[in-house]
Amino acid sequence: MQVYYTSPWVPPEWIKAHGLDPRGVWFADDLGAEPHPIGAGVCAFANSVVRFAERHADSAVVFSTHCDQLRRAFDTVGGSALERRFLFNLPATWQSAAARRLFISELERLGRFLVKLGGHTPSGEALAETMNQYGSARRQLLEAATRVPASAYAEAIARFHWDGSVNLPAPGQKNDGAVAVALLGGALPRAHWHVMDLIESAGGRVVLNASEAGERSLWYATEDRPMPAADASLPPLSALPAATPEDLARVCLDNCADVFQRPNTRLYAWLKPRLRSRQVRGIVLWHYVGCDLWRTEAQPLREAFDLPVLLLEATDTASEAPRHAGRIQAFLESLRGPGA
Amino acid sequence: MNDAPRKITLGEWEQRYEELHRAGLREPAYGGRLGRHVLLDSDLRLRNLRFDNSPAALRLWNLLLTENQRLAQARAQGEKLVGTMKDLGTVPVMAYSLPGLRAFYPDGAWWTPCLMECSDGLLHQADTLGLDSSLCPVRAMAAAFQNGEHFPRPDLLVCSTGAVCDDFSAIAQRLEKMGFPIEWWEMPRRRTPEPGEAACVLPGGLSAPEVQVACVRDELERIGTLLSGLAGRPLDAVTLAAGIRQANKIRRVLAALRRTVYGSPAAPLPALEMLVAEMLAIHFCSDREEALGVLTDLLAEAESRLRRGEHVIAEEAVRVFWVNPVADLRVMNLLEDWGGRICGSDYMFTHALDLIPEDLPPPEALARTALADPMVGSALDRARRIAAECRTSRAEAVVVSRIPGASHCAWEGDIIRGVVREELGLPGIELEVPPISDSLLPTLSSRVQALLETARSRRMPADAFGRASPLSGAT
Repeated sequence: MQVYYTSPWVPPEWIKAHGLDPRGVWFADDLGAEPHPIGAGVCAFANSVVRFAERHADSAVVFSTHCDQLRRAFDTVGGSALERRFLFNLPATWQSAAARRLFISELERLGRFLVKLGGHTPSGEALAETMNQYGSARRQLLEAATRVPASAYAEAIARFHWDGSVNLPAPGQKNDGAVAVALLGGALPRAHWHVMDLIESAGGRVVLNASEAGERSLWYATEDRPMPAADASLPPLSALPAATPEDLARVCLDNCADVFQRPNTRLYAWLKPRLRSRQVRGIVLWHYVGCDLWRTEAQPLREAFDLPVLLLEATDTASEAPRHAGRIQAFLESLRGPGA
Repeated sequence: MNDAPRKITLGEWEQRYEELHRAGLREPAYGGRLGRHVLLDSDLRLRNLRFDNSPAALRLWNLLLTENQRLAQARAQGEKLVGTMKDLGTVPVMAYSLPGLRAFYPDGAWWTPCLMECSDGLLHQADTLGLDSSLCPVRAMAAAFQNGEHFPRPDLLVCSTGAVCDDFSAIAQRLEKMGFPIEWWEMPRRRTPEPGEAACVLPGGLSAPEVQVACVRDELERIGTLLSGLAGRPLDAVTLAAGIRQANKIRRVLAALRRTVYGSPAAPLPALEMLVAEMLAIHFCSDREEALGVLTDLLAEAESRLRRGEHVIAEEAVRVFWVNPVADLRVMNLLEDWGGRICGSDYMFTHALDLIPEDLPPPEALARTALADPMVGSALDRARRIAAECRTSRAEAVVVSRIPGASHCAWEGDIIRGVVREELGLPGIELEVPPISDSLLPTLSSRVQALLETARSRRMPADAFGRASPLSGAT
């Protein structure tokens, strides 16, 4: 059975180790494929996940509390999808033992849900093997981050979030004249990938894809806790002979760098060395209408990194492209300066 | 002196104050004319409100409108101030258990733009902090922290996070980046226990898994340690139990007040004063003893009026259950002008109205109470409680008041109205109320009046042709 997850911090290896097929919901072809009526203030992504869950009654969908909109969207799922929906309580804090215990208990509860769906409880060895596979895949993807063109890299990460595999294209030619930008923000489903094309066609280059299921979602177990922040030296994977849900929770929580965390200092700590080493000149902040978490970070990001930030608001794919094109062109033009 | 209950303007309160004074009115230290709050504090909105004319209401308003002075005075006297954010009713119980600590909700600044009719500039200032109008008016809080003009800087700032509104969480995070360190504590999203899972009963009739209660208990104990450090004495079980008993004393009086006012055929006190009275439950308006006194006075006034057969809102008014607090206090007046009255409410802190269990270890009792927060669970849980209270309060209509920019409002309204309609067949509307609603009054008025008409028409039995009979007014 396919089990769609809505946050990279719900570890797909846990689903896989239970004998089911984890699928990153962002990369489902029909997510948000058709326009749905939407209420005032409702996030289009959360809304599309609800409709997706209702349409795919033969699959399971794991919602997550990392965003209030998704948490509340979960309450509205109806029809036959009710039995196959799950709300994973991701703690917003990470400093306390209570947060860690909450995460572990949620993993265990998710495990019981997966068993009810037909999965099986993994042995310690089986869990470790799956963690090692996923960790190895993430490490390979991370190594390729600075070599592969943005769209191809996004495709590779999407592939990983779809079936756990790694399929990296040959390194692309670097366009040294392009303006290096970071694409940061929330969910970036395939239907919105035109943003990367728009950046490239306007003379930019996405050197850091830090959207929800982008490079930030690539974590793995290392000797260091958490993984070192530096770009250059990826530490070796710590292959585990056997693992427990506590081990998985530790690796996942230790490496979680997201906007919903309180405080969200880890996100900034994750960004800082990458923005510097990749010589990023501007940040494109991608967010959905109603996403307060990302939208309110625009000013702190400017202040923290002394970089210009362009807010790009996701609406529906059909109408947003022309609007986004104009904003991206102007942004990159302003970054290039006169005569460039 | 005419003591008949009625709603009066600020101007009329001047004369009323003189009369009461001549008649021997005794006031607490924070007492005085209501009009001074306009002159001294620029609480301009008071000019557009209408107030209950009782001494009890005067005391209530004066307690509310002197909070900032009270906090400043406490600071000057060496007390420590605890800014508690978002949990609405839990951490203050702990803080007030310790002598020398005074807790308040900086969140309360969300009403400042309304009270000062935006002359405070807080919302504009929030814009400059990157907190624009896409967010809830509680963004005024960040500006109030920055300019330091509305409350003293707390000695300790704590905020619940996790299952909270994203807009609030984002604003609080911005606050921390502005240089106001925050101690965050985790509030899990309350869920229904699974079959066979160890579970706990929560106040309000809900239940939660033991593992979630343990999480909140651990977090509250961590906050308790910080409070102990601030107070210089331990927040042990005996101390906290005493604090819980005091909080419950207030909650009991408030419960009696709500029963008395909301349950009466004609309302002995107006909706606006009741909204303010309910707010006292969450942090006692920074003075636990006075809050108890104020509520006791209001209850006595309501009971006395009922004994005399007096009221401020007549029996024929449509009984409305109100969901969420209004950003503009004036709307509470207007509901009554338009022919409605409040018969029940969920102002987002029903867990602060429920009694905290006194037969459990205190941290456990507080954790269970915190988890009963209507905003941390499913909107369906909240909707079911609202429906149950609509039934007992004989509500005829429901208004879900949307707070501009608040993330919960995007989803919950349909669910609440749906459950209420399904279980009780009651009509309901959603209504967005900005901090100053004057320019929207025609829209608000027409929507509310349409709802009230619909509710009224349901009172009348239909004739053989399905037409409502105007001759019968039976409820």
